Amino acid sequence: MNAPARIHELSIAGLSIHSRTGPIVRDISLSLRPGQPLTLLGESGSGKSLVAQAVMGTLPPELTASGAIRLDGVDLISSSPDERRERWGRAISLLPQEPWLALDPTMRIGPQVAEVHRFVRRQAAPQSSALARTNLTEVGLGHAGALYPFQMSGGMCQRAAIAIAHAGGSGLLIADEPTKGLDADLRDRIVARLKQEVDAGRLLLTITHDISVARALGGTVGVMLEGRLVDYGSAEQVLTAPSHPYSQALLNADPQTWVGSAPAPSGDVVLGGRGLAKRFDNYALFEDIDIEVRAGEILSVVGPSGCGKTTLGNILLGLVEPDAGTVERRKGISRLRFQKLYQDPPAAFPPHQAIRKGLRDLVKLHRGRWEEVEALLERLRLQNGLLDRLPGQISGGELQRFAILRALLLDPVFLFADEATSRLDPVSQKEVVDVLLEVVGETGLGVLLVTHDHALAEKISTRTVRLARRDT
Amino acid sequence: MRRFLLARLAQAGVVAVVVGTLCFVLMRVLPGDAAMRIAAGRYGPDAAIAEAAEKVRQELGLDQPWPVQFLEWLGNLLRFDLGHSLVTGAPVIEELKVQLGASLWLAAAALLLSLLIGPAVGIVSGLRPNGWADRLGLAGSVTLRALPPFVLGLILMLVFSIWLGWLPPAGFGSWRELILPSLTLALGLAAVSSRVTREAIATVAKAPYFAFARHKGLPEAVVVRRHGLRNAAIPVVSYLGLQAIYLVEGVVVVETIFAYPGIGHALVHAIVERDIPMVQGTALAMGLIFVAVTAGVDAASAWLDPRLRRAQ
Repeated sequence: MNAPARIHELSIAGLSIHSRTGPIVRDISLSLRPGQPLTLLGESGSGKSLVAQAVMGTLPPELTASGAIRLDGVDLISSSPDERRERWGRAISLLPQEPWLALDPTMRIGPQVAEVHRFVRRQAAPQSSALARTNLTEVGLGHAGALYPFQMSGGMCQRAAIAIAHAGGSGLLIADEPTKGLDADLRDRIVARLKQEVDAGRLLLTITHDISVARALGGTVGVMLEGRLVDYGSAEQVLTAPSHPYSQALLNADPQTWVGSAPAPSGDVVLGGRGLAKRFDNYALFEDIDIEVRAGEILSVVGPSGCGKTTLGNILLGLVEPDAGTVERRKGISRLRFQKLYQDPPAAFPPHQAIRKGLRDLVKLHRGRWEEVEALLERLRLQNGLLDRLPGQISGGELQRFAILRALLLDPVFLFADEATSRLDPVSQKEVVDVLLEVVGETGLGVLLVTHDHALAEKISTRTVRLARRDT
Repeated sequence: MRRFLLARLAQAGVVAVVVGTLCFVLMRVLPGDAAMRIAAGRYGPDAAIAEAAEKVRQELGLDQPWPVQFLEWLGNLLRFDLGHSLVTGAPVIEELKVQLGASLWLAAAALLLSLLIGPAVGIVSGLRPNGWADRLGLAGSVTLRALPPFVLGLILMLVFSIWLGWLPPAGFGSWRELILPSLTLALGLAAVSSRVTREAIATVAKAPYFAFARHKGLPEAVVVRRHGLRNAAIPVVSYLGLQAIYLVEGVVVVETIFAYPGIGHALVHAIVERDIPMVQGTALAMGLIFVAVTAGVDAASAWLDPRLRRAQ
């Protein structure tokens, strides 16, 4: 391993970030030392990513930072763009969000690591390749140098990004939502890897909305809300006895702390599958699965990524054909009343159309009444004013509640919620889940919840089906 | 690889039959007496034209019912026999060799020129979207693409041959005759490929992997060279396949304007003279070139983009 360039302290004092319309991050002060990782918690839009960008020097040009960010005494805010760029990869490394998108899709992983040695550390080509192999071996990817990013799992991509940080030898790691989109198992492994980085003497600044990541990393925790640091202290203190009500809300939103509230089935089977099997290429996702969903219950399907949970739900909806087995939907019910809730709310709405327009068209198409929409808005606690915004202009949690509203307009008997809350911050997740539970209780909707979050499944589902990842 | 080639061969076969049939049908439904046109093409329009036309009709079997003519033609095609030109009497394949060769030179020169102009303008535009270079590129692209090839050809001829007197206005023989027709085609091609490149570059420049390459500490030139160009080339190369269509359309018009003895020129003459075997042979050659170009583009795309290789 390249010995990291020793950095003794990153200190931020009175950092504010302004847009043209006013401050969006106010008066942040914190410090980071070897052996003491810092984790910033908060929902999207709380400004935690902006703090990381200010350290990195990648704030969008329309934003300006004031205050002081010192890396071993050198002020980063007053650096010129060239000086900032000089630090990238050498002093500060960024572990990107969703590294499977941050690695070049057309280049093998080995050269992507080797080029850091070659072009940043100015080594000869053969030397660079050899060093890259060492870096990959350090993160357990010694065998993977010839793979392309699309052939690797999310966890492997994240480890490749760490290998790249090792190659540069930088002393400060900024991990921006390093576990976004990963299941619990992979998340724990990435967190363990990050702790090793801390033990190796690197400074670690982690941005996340996942409390379990903060808990596992330990060190110092800061909680951000609307651009302010509302809580700051040791992990034990902030995560057990927070001083700010928002931090408390954040802790309460962690599914592990929820009171169980699984609904009881209120009716007969609405949908069932017998002997379902599905293969992709030569790879059997699952075989001989019997499953049924009754009215008024939440049936959870849990398991690691790639085990076929989503495919199972799509088979039940009739979106994918099973290789074997049959699906039976309750007789005499329109196909339209079997609905799906998607994982990524922004991807489930047309980006350039105000929400009102889409809902209005839907009501018109199915000869409904606009009053139904208004009644649902109230029931799902959505403000009327949001209707005239574009999907990108409202929060993920609000958008997912609009997706529920859209499905409810068709009076569904069955809803397939495909990781419907996994991209939301905990507080939004709690709101969406609460709304869903209410709807299930009131309408007798049968829900198939696909999730990788065991705690969530445990708290709200009537029954749980576990799928395992099968090896070829 | 073998599956790829076999699929392309099958595709070529289907194209051959479809193109041949379409030509056959279209030539039959054109108004006017084919025998009369052929006779006029051979002997010139004189007083004995009706007599000559009757001879032609019998000689070429044009008085046979059309299904017989069609099956005969199809049978010949299966034996790789394209027949003889009804007008000159020479084997179609010989005529094609000469004309196709000339056209391929023209098309290759046009493509090369367009590749020198289009992607270069596109890269400059795409690296700074909405900068002055981008706006200028857009204006130029819209203007050039809005001009039909024959207007553009005439303008170039006017400027470079008539006013400046630098280049010959028409003809065939040396590279000097090749410049104006190929530039006419190239400007039309570059007008669009520059915009496609611009979009590709702008998309790549916004991609997370492009930002990450910078955050790794790589110098800007290395970021563009190693992570920008290859990724941006993927849509541009697939677009080249579509440009082949424009080239065929353009070759027909441009060769006629510049009196350039290529396959497009030949096609126009063959249609006027109702030289059915020539029309069929020419169209067939163009169709097969299409298949070859598409196969080449697909192979190049697979080389550029490893994700496609796995999909195959």
